[in-house]
Parts: sequence; C-alpha cells; structure tokens
Amino acid sequence: MALRELSSLEKYLGLKKPNKYSTQGDKKVPVLQNNNGPPLVGLGTIASHLVKEAKRPNLLGDSAESRAVVQQWLEYRLTKLDGCTKEDTKAILKDLNLYLQDKVYMAGNQFTLADTFMYFGIHPIIVDLSVQEKEQYVNVARWFDHIQRCPGVRHHLPPLVVLRNRIYTSKHH
Amino acid sequence: MGFGDLRAASGLKVLNGFLSERSYIEGYVPSQADVAVFDSLSAAPSADLVHALRWYHHILSYSQRNSLPGVKKPLGQYGPPGLADTTTGSAPSAPKEEEDDDDDIDLFGSDEEEDEEAERLKEERLAQYAAKKSKKPTIIAKSSLLLDVKPWDDETDMKQLEALVRSISMEGLLWGQSKLLPVGYGIQKLQINCVIEDDKVGTDMLEEQITAFEDFVQSMDVAAFNKI
Repeated sequence: MALRELSSLEKYLGLKKPNKYSTQGDKKVPVLQNNNGPPLVGLGTIASHLVKEAKRPNLLGDSAESRAVVQQWLEYRLTKLDGCTKEDTKAILKDLNLYLQDKVYMAGNQFTLADTFMYFGIHPIIVDLSVQEKEQYVNVARWFDHIQRCPGVRHHLPPLVVLRNRIYTSKHH
Repeated sequence: MGFGDLRAASGLKVLNGFLSERSYIEGYVPSQADVAVFDSLSAAPSADLVHALRWYHHILSYSQRNSLPGVKKPLGQYGPPGLADTTTGSAPSAPKEEEDDDDDIDLFGSDEEEDEEAERLKEERLAQYAAKKSKKPTIIAKSSLLLDVKPWDDETDMKQLEALVRSISMEGLLWGQSKLLPVGYGIQKLQINCVIEDDKVGTDMLEEQITAFEDFVQSMDVAAFNKI
C-alpha cells in the first residue's frame, strides 16, 4: 500500500526515474535506498524527500504554520489512520469533519502533501461508508471529492462517489 | 441558475447550500466564477453559513484575484440549476434537463481540468446534436388493437355503447372499424379496432376509460394486439 502511494506520488511530482523501494519489518515500512546517504525509512520521510527532489517545496506548506500543519497530518496519517479499527474510524471521521468545516485544503489554502496522504489513507474507509454516513460527514465528502478530482493525484485508486444522491432529502437545503 | 439576491439572506442560504458540496463555484480550481460571486457579496457571510464562510475566506486568501483563470459571466449563470434567475441584466442561461438528473454520479465524464472555454464548446456541440436529432423524422411505434367490449345484458343499446366507446379520445388513439358479435342468449359484444401510439396510449388507460361507462360496459378485453 505504502509503496503504491509513493509511486503515485512520484508520478504526480513528475519525477523521471522511479525509485526502488524495499520494505522493512512486518509493518512493511517503506525504505528508500539513497545512493549517497543512509537509507530513508518511513512514508512521511520518503515523501518529504521526494517533494524536495522534485523541487516542489510548496507541497510541504508555504508558511511556517502550514508546514507544521502538513507535518501534523502526515503524522496523524501514520499514527492514527494506518491500522485503525472500525470503532476508531467513526472518531476519525468526526474529527476530520469538524476540522474541514472551514477549510478547503488540509493545510493552508493550497494543495499539499497532507491532502495527498490523507486522501490515500482515508480512501479505504470511504469505500465502506454508506450514503447516509457520507451525508453525515459533509465536509469530509466535499474535501474528498475535491482532492480526488485534482489532476494527477488519483493514480492507483478508483474514483468514489461521495456526494449526495439527490434522492435522499438533506437537511442542508 | 443564479443564487437569487446575494444581498439578501435567502440568496446567501442558497450559496451556502451550493457550497456545502463544492470547494469552488465552478469546477475544481478557483476561477473568475468565484471572483464574480465574491465581488457581489457586500461582506463576509455570517458564522452560521459555514460553507459560504469557508469559501469566502479561501477566496479572500487569493491576493491576485484578477489573475484567476476563466471569464467572468453574469451572476445569473452560476449556482444551482433549476433556481429561477432573479439577477437583473443577466443573459438567458441554457435550460437544464430534468431536475432529478443524478449528475453527481457522473464522476469523470467531463470534469477533469475543465475550463470555461471547454464548457462552452461542449454546450455548443450538445445544442447542435439536439437540433440535428430533432430534425430527423422519428419513427413512432404503433400498435393495432382489437378490443372486445361486453355489455350487461341483451337489453343494452349497443349503438349507444359504441357511440360512448368512440367518444373516448386520446392523443395517439384512432378508432377503426367495429362489428357486433353475438355471444349467446341474445347478448352481443362490440368488437372494435383501434390504432394506438405505444408511447402515448396504454391498454390499461383504455380499459379504465371504457369501463368507466359502468351502465353500459360490463367488461373489456384486448382480443388482439399487433405491432405495426
């Protein structure tokens, strides 16, 4: 899963030479063997490295504050999202819904790595949601639909229908 | 299209509802569409209109709003379809098809990287196709039915029964020949031909109308149904 995400990211960044990754441990943590230096371990670390390699530092946030927020969400992804249980997903979605109420993107006012990796991480949860649940988490649905339509992001994942079916009456109208 | 009066609470509510599932007014990147609506707002939306407020702050963060892509269209061109266009001096908007169209399901039909020009071209091409289609003579499906109308008894005035049946007129229904067939005990049934257009007339509709003459008609059957 992590390896596919990284290769997706490489395609998004337009990196010419795909890197070779290996995994470590039974949690399958990705490892990037660098030519010059020590191997890079971990999804977040490697992703940040790739972004710098592609010279797109703004994907990590364009201000000190948004950079911190990007790191926060990358960490959230790795600690809370990966390997979460069914009960956790409800809490996670609630958190996200509240957070995204007044935001278009996860960090700051533009697309960042936080959006990419939260999208990759949340995708398997959204797949299992029913229509009513998607209506409940309006902001997550809106953000998810927005990110999956951003050009170049959604490589290895199928598109999902998140927005409300007009057959269901909604309390927002 | 259009949001109604954006200076009034009603228009802002429409905007809020519209933005509850969208990040931008049109498409998936900020464009002049957002600028047009943004400029028409006199102030930030109130805190209870969460989605409008979110969108407002987001657009506010773009310092160079004039450099956003797209072309500004009159306000009436944006917003949820099906809403009456109440903005003044706006160009007539293209008619949208049936309201219950599930166009949210159409995921990647034409939404990726769309800019306003591509949309306009698409609408033009659609209009051309529709015009071409309407010019082609459509083949109407017709069927020929043979109906058996049975009276209550032999005292029933068959001539009047026939007159009543023929008085039923519907679009796509043409009555044809008829004859009276003896059934037994002096009772006669009316066998009448008709040609119907499949789209417009159904046999149950016909049956309802014929059996409505309760004093005369006991029942009605479709004796034969042939496609023409």
